[in-house]
Amino acid sequence: MFRFPARLVGAAVALTLAAANPGFAQQLELKLMAPAAPGGGWDQTARSMQQALVASGVARSVQVTNVPGAGGSVGIAQFVNGAKGDGNHLMVNGFVMVGALAMNKSPVTLEQVTPIARLTEEIQVIVVPANSPIKTAQDLAAAVKADIAKVTFAGGSAGGVDHVMAALFAGAVGAEAKKINYIPFSGGGESLAAILGGKVTAGISGLSEYEGQIKSGKLRAIGVTSEKRIAGSDVPTFKEQGIDLVIANWRSVVAPPGITPEQRKTLSDAVEKMVKSDAWKEILKQKGWEDAYLGGDAFADFLKKETARVTDVLKSVGLVKS
Amino acid sequence: MTSGDPVQPPRRVDRAGLVIAASLAVLAAVLVWDARGLQSAAMYGMGPEAMPVVVACGLALLAIGNFIDALRGNLPARESADPVPVVLVLVGLALLIAIIGFGGGFILATSALFVTTSAAFGRRAILIDAIIALVMSTLIYLAFDRLLTLSLPAGPLERLL
Amino acid sequence: MDTFAALAHGMAVAVQPMNLLYALIGVFLGTAVGVLPGIGPALTVALLLPVTYKLDPGGSLIMFAGIYYGGMYGGSTTAILINTPGESASMATALEGNKMAKAGRGGPALATSAIGSFVAGTIATIGLAFLAPWLVDVAVRFGPEDYFALMCVAFVTVSATFGDSPIRGLTSLFIGLTLGLVGIDKLTGQARLAFGVPELLDGVEVTTLAVGLFAVGEALYVASRRHHTEEKLEPVRGSLWMTKEDWKRSWKPWLRGTMFGFPIGALPAGGAEIPTFLSYSTEKRLTKHPEEFGKGAIEGVAGPEAANNASAAGTLVPLLTLGLPTSATAAMMLAGFQQYGLNPGPLLFAERPDLVWGLIASLFIANMMLLVLNLPLVGLWVRLLAIPQPWLYAGILVFATMGTIAAKPSVVELSMLAGFGVLGFLMRRFDFPIAPVVVGLILGPIAESQLRRALAISLGDPMTLLQSPISATLLGIALIALVAPFVLKGLGRFKANED
Repeated sequence: MFRFPARLVGAAVALTLAAANPGFAQQLELKLMAPAAPGGGWDQTARSMQQALVASGVARSVQVTNVPGAGGSVGIAQFVNGAKGDGNHLMVNGFVMVGALAMNKSPVTLEQVTPIARLTEEIQVIVVPANSPIKTAQDLAAAVKADIAKVTFAGGSAGGVDHVMAALFAGAVGAEAKKINYIPFSGGGESLAAILGGKVTAGISGLSEYEGQIKSGKLRAIGVTSEKRIAGSDVPTFKEQGIDLVIANWRSVVAPPGITPEQRKTLSDAVEKMVKSDAWKEILKQKGWEDAYLGGDAFADFLKKETARVTDVLKSVGLVKS
Repeated sequence: MTSGDPVQPPRRVDRAGLVIAASLAVLAAVLVWDARGLQSAAMYGMGPEAMPVVVACGLALLAIGNFIDALRGNLPARESADPVPVVLVLVGLALLIAIIGFGGGFILATSALFVTTSAAFGRRAILIDAIIALVMSTLIYLAFDRLLTLSLPAGPLERLL
Repeated sequence: MDTFAALAHGMAVAVQPMNLLYALIGVFLGTAVGVLPGIGPALTVALLLPVTYKLDPGGSLIMFAGIYYGGMYGGSTTAILINTPGESASMATALEGNKMAKAGRGGPALATSAIGSFVAGTIATIGLAFLAPWLVDVAVRFGPEDYFALMCVAFVTVSATFGDSPIRGLTSLFIGLTLGLVGIDKLTGQARLAFGVPELLDGVEVTTLAVGLFAVGEALYVASRRHHTEEKLEPVRGSLWMTKEDWKRSWKPWLRGTMFGFPIGALPAGGAEIPTFLSYSTEKRLTKHPEEFGKGAIEGVAGPEAANNASAAGTLVPLLTLGLPTSATAAMMLAGFQQYGLNPGPLLFAERPDLVWGLIASLFIANMMLLVLNLPLVGLWVRLLAIPQPWLYAGILVFATMGTIAAKPSVVELSMLAGFGVLGFLMRRFDFPIAPVVVGLILGPIAESQLRRALAISLGDPMTLLQSPISATLLGIALIALVAPFVLKGLGRFKANED
């Protein structure tokens, strides 16, 4: 990764030259918004993209900005309003934003942005503290059935994938999904602390975020949401344990509204080039993300269908008033 | 505040104090009105409407407190204020916002603010100040935008650089 | 002992001449960007991180540490010189620091801030090296109810910033609480007080409020009173450097500030603001010169600055031991680590001790560089105050708005800045204290969401606040801190009557 052991002064000169020289304009100078606080999944996606775009030579510079708040509702509002027509601006988004926008009755919707590509998919996991009496998903199911209010789930923002998953879990084990006691935390760090400290019964998150804790034995993973068991992992799926719970947290990247078809093509090509680069593949391996690249109109379709599906789930569990 | 103080003779009612008290009461009313539109989505514990109501109660009590202070004329003495420079500075800020809003760029916007503020503080050499402002904001723009890659809004002048 | 050997090795790497140069460049760049109000250390690091990509790992880490410390010190410099806190954590510094600068004591204020930061940073780094595993066990035991209790302690100490009228102080605080309600509710995702304006869904940015109230409000106020007395600023009155008396009054606040900053910073939701307020109010209570508070007491600069710096080192505890990025700054540190394909977490200390200790050594070196670079510059900084008044205030306003323009160039945000400026002007004119507004904005939302989380977990039973020993203790402290002044006053009067 450190192929340029250039001295800073040299780098600064090169930077100024590049800015003055129109021949360099081929290389993009991108702004990339992560509509979440630093450290979370979208932020990591954005910073990984930054790394891969620069390392693979697709972009000369990528500036990541964080606009946290309510599952990305704040970020997308600012993105749609502030970056309209800006062909050098991208925003990371994903599953969580779909639900959040529906719940907030946001005036800004995902129909307004220009879809570029789906990038990754992440398997979700339910964890409990190492000293918890709950050992398997069936134990948790029993606890939920016994008294749903007393089983507290910690996870990300209200209406996000973690919240939806808690509701789906309750539904799948035959409890009343409406009554789940779900506690949203603002950052991955805060909810992890609450789980480690035994303040909540269980925690829901993407598998990679808690991987270190699971490996070190501080947390116990009681189930993952993939169809089949992940290669090389000894964590059982929910399906194996007789609970029908399959869900994935996808992440994608979109452009602002009002960009020209050429600008859209430039951005799509850049993202496609990045996805195919070695730097990106290396990052995926490192973070344990599944490559789920889906570009162009296929992604636009997917986004539409997923929006409809998530809104339905949220309505059926009473998170969105129909 | 000690009880041993001699009782002050009643002073005249403070009008500004009454306005402050009224504003606080209005603010409290707005909070309650806004909180009524929230649906309590939380199944357990407190909903999103609880805190606004608590804050509104506090504001209402403080409105009463400020009202009493104003009636008693308990407010600290004020010196007369000169509105002209204040208005000038505000005009400068308004110019800055307008220039940025209409895409005039960083250099023009900050120069406008600099010149009006300087005039508000008694300078009359507007031409010299304008030159100083333009040079200074151009240097700032170059240093921060070009060298340190901070993105500042660009307008016609910035594109010439 | 392993820890010593590892730290020594890290030091040996860090003090190579080339690395020292990188540290110096980093500190310089960090200060240059960090002085912009509204651009705190996290944003500074984020903006300048790409610069470090081009260096070798050791140099990159060191420049990174330099940028970080430079960014932090930059915020304090503007707080002291032009009453414009660059970030929320240096707000307490502005309270006394700017008064000192106006009285010609800007030199000692800047010096005690730099040296205090160094002392606190050093102690906290040592604490990090030796106490991290133990401290983190305590830190994760803090639940929502305990955080709420901690907020209660913080709220009580806020009264130190009230000035002499409780009604006006509380009014300011409640205005801040109201502003804190604006935006999307964290727990249910519903918009409050946003009136359909999308920019307001974002809530009120702390730095926009602080810069508006402090810098813009001050400029308006000074402008309105110009016809009374031409305010004459003397950059240096007395000694430019800290006198013996200054040292004597500074060292205890430095240590006490560190004691607040490091442990609270280590809490996953502790933050840097609470320890600075706690430190400020403690120094105000303990000082032998209570008459100077509000007029420029050096203790009120030394303590909060030390607390600010120590809390930054504290956030490294959960980051390095658990992989928990608990603040924006810590998240940027995480990004710094990820340059090496490395994820901080429970296994980091065991797997890559060289990098952990390298980072700790870098922080130490960068901290020292900051001192080396800035102490000689103190004289230059304070002479900025000798600029003729029209240009000085014009420059301050340009500077204050520039931070907002760079961070968020939206018309709504800039209008809010101007609006808060008018609010700050009116509050000064009618003698309402400014600081409690910002305090309310910071603490209100945290207190609310932690209380609601605690109540959701306990199914609405408020007794949860007393059942947790940590929470019960903290609430007890808050109660004592609330009642004690009245009791002491009563006792004092009782005694006086007896005499």
